[in-house]
Amino acid sequence: MADWKLLERLCTARGISGNEDEVRNLILGEIEPYATSVEITPLGSIIAFKKGERRPKTKLMLNAHMDEVGMIVTDITDGGLLKFATVGGIDRRVLCGIPVTVGKNVGGVVGAKPIHLLEEDEKEKSVPLKDLYIDIGAENREEAESHVMPGDPVTFDSVFDTSHGMLKSRALDDRAGCAMMIDMIQGDLKYDLYFVFAVQEETGLNGSRTAAFAVEPQAAIVLESTTAADVAGVDRENQVCNVGGGAVISFMDRHTIYDKEYYQMAFKAAKKAGVNCQAKRAVAGGNDAGAIHVSRGGVRTVAVSLPCRYLHSAVSLISQEDFISAQKLVCELADMIAGEG
Amino acid sequence: MDELKGLVFRLCAAPGTPGNENAAAKAAGKELSKYAKAHVDKMGNVIAKMGKLGAEKHILLDAHLDQIGLIVTNIDKHGFLRVDRTGGVDRRVLPGSPVTIYGKEVLTGVVCCTPPHLSDGSEDKLVSVDKMAVDAGLSKAEAEKLVRPGDRILLHAAPKSLLGTRVTAPGLDDRAGVAVLIRCAQLLAGCELNCEVTVLLSSREEVGGQGAVTGAYSVNPTHAVIVDVSFAEQPNVLPEKCGKLGGGPMIGVAPILNRSMIDGMIETAKKNHIPYKLDVMGGSTGTNSDEIAITRKGVKAELISIPLRYMHTPVEVIDLKDVEHTARLIAEYIKGVE
Repeated sequence: MADWKLLERLCTARGISGNEDEVRNLILGEIEPYATSVEITPLGSIIAFKKGERRPKTKLMLNAHMDEVGMIVTDITDGGLLKFATVGGIDRRVLCGIPVTVGKNVGGVVGAKPIHLLEEDEKEKSVPLKDLYIDIGAENREEAESHVMPGDPVTFDSVFDTSHGMLKSRALDDRAGCAMMIDMIQGDLKYDLYFVFAVQEETGLNGSRTAAFAVEPQAAIVLESTTAADVAGVDRENQVCNVGGGAVISFMDRHTIYDKEYYQMAFKAAKKAGVNCQAKRAVAGGNDAGAIHVSRGGVRTVAVSLPCRYLHSAVSLISQEDFISAQKLVCELADMIAGEG
Repeated sequence: MDELKGLVFRLCAAPGTPGNENAAAKAAGKELSKYAKAHVDKMGNVIAKMGKLGAEKHILLDAHLDQIGLIVTNIDKHGFLRVDRTGGVDRRVLPGSPVTIYGKEVLTGVVCCTPPHLSDGSEDKLVSVDKMAVDAGLSKAEAEKLVRPGDRILLHAAPKSLLGTRVTAPGLDDRAGVAVLIRCAQLLAGCELNCEVTVLLSSREEVGGQGAVTGAYSVNPTHAVIVDVSFAEQPNVLPEKCGKLGGGPMIGVAPILNRSMIDGMIETAKKNHIPYKLDVMGGSTGTNSDEIAITRKGVKAELISIPLRYMHTPVEVIDLKDVEHTARLIAEYIKGVE
């Protein structure tokens, strides 16, 4: 992944949970010429199988999710404004005063009462979700209805910036993971591998749950982004992980206690690949592993995540070096797991 | 309307925080010079003259060039940029927002936002802007090479079209007013006028109006029309305080504003079938009108406002019809001066 064009295309594609079509089509276009077989599950996840040089001793599935957090239109007011619900875990503090896109291309903004008209106590408080709405410039309900209907997805307008060794963009969670898997599929593999591009991670791990059932793996590696709280004003003990510190390996989060042996193996894989990695220093968050590790009779699962700041806001930030080293780690780890009986 | 939209978007794409209006002045000066030769004065104001030079009546047309933003105060040991406000930035819109940093090069940053799992239910509370930080993804050493205290930061949002003739962009306060005066100059170009007209695109309104104070002194007009933005109807705001998006210019009425000019504007609007609404204020106006009216021995002043939603956020919204109507109202008023 020397250039970031593919990641840019993935991150600028719009796909909140349940509306992953654009992302899925983009990924299919990238992997179909290289995968041995490609299947779409009833919920819309992609299961790609790629033959390697050898048959694996352990049937291994890699997983990343295609969906991103966003909003969904719930109602249209008489005045033509859109009420919305959040899809996935959005921090509502980030919603006020941002530009958004409704559906494919209807421009909108999440407005706010002018600062000049605020009461003193309102100035220091974030705006409650019930007071937020999207303005698409419609004069009334009728005009709005001719462009938008309840159920339409809403995504952040954002940037894609690759300067100074960082990547700043919308939806790095988890298009970065998708990009890594695409890269693996487009290259040569040592062992046969299954790749799941899952839908609906942000709203309940539904895509990976059903895809894992279908694939029936013995082991799984989940590629994710995880909160790096190494930002201004946060002490080291609360930072969880650090941007620039390499891939993040989880021992436990809100949904999963990870396979201990694989947790250790990930650190060995990093050493073998000659890259840095770090333990996730908190029991927080969760990802598709939560559904995968309890699929059928149980799946030995490990998560390799990119440390990511401002996850679930209009613009998140990861390090290019972390991306590259995580990718090396994952390739090494996949070989170790698949090659071990 | 497409021509007008292009103008508004070009004006909004140029950064111009208070005291640092160069790029905005250049963009606006270029547009204005199509109709009247413009120059930039030592306070950063753009000034251009039209009409009958030396006439008894000399009308100053003012709109402010600057927009609210952030200023880098220092770089902390981890490379985060500490900032303060230049103008009335609303802290509620800052957390997690993408920003553009105008350092040695143009950089993308994010306003730091503590993840919810660390806020212990206190996420309702927002710290003041001087306690916030901007993350450019740079180490301290890198940051010090590229950014200096005093550099400016704008919230990032690209100008874009909404439905109909409505548009959103950061800095429509008061680039919409600047657009009105440029369009007005276009409407007046080539007309025989009985008065002298000076267009003043003034600096530093958001931090006190120093551009207008000094600009009005230098120009020394008899009359002034100030164009700024005012509140348009939106939820949670009392409608009686507001104009209506697409409802035409708001004609200001306030103790500091000149009654005969107010009446003249109302008459002009009626005569030319331009929709309008009165915008009545009990005290000062909170615009450059307050400063310009008390310049030297006093200037007869009138304030015309463009209705705007979400003032001082990066997603301000206007209706281009209001820009056109405001420009026409002022142009017709000036043509009518005897």
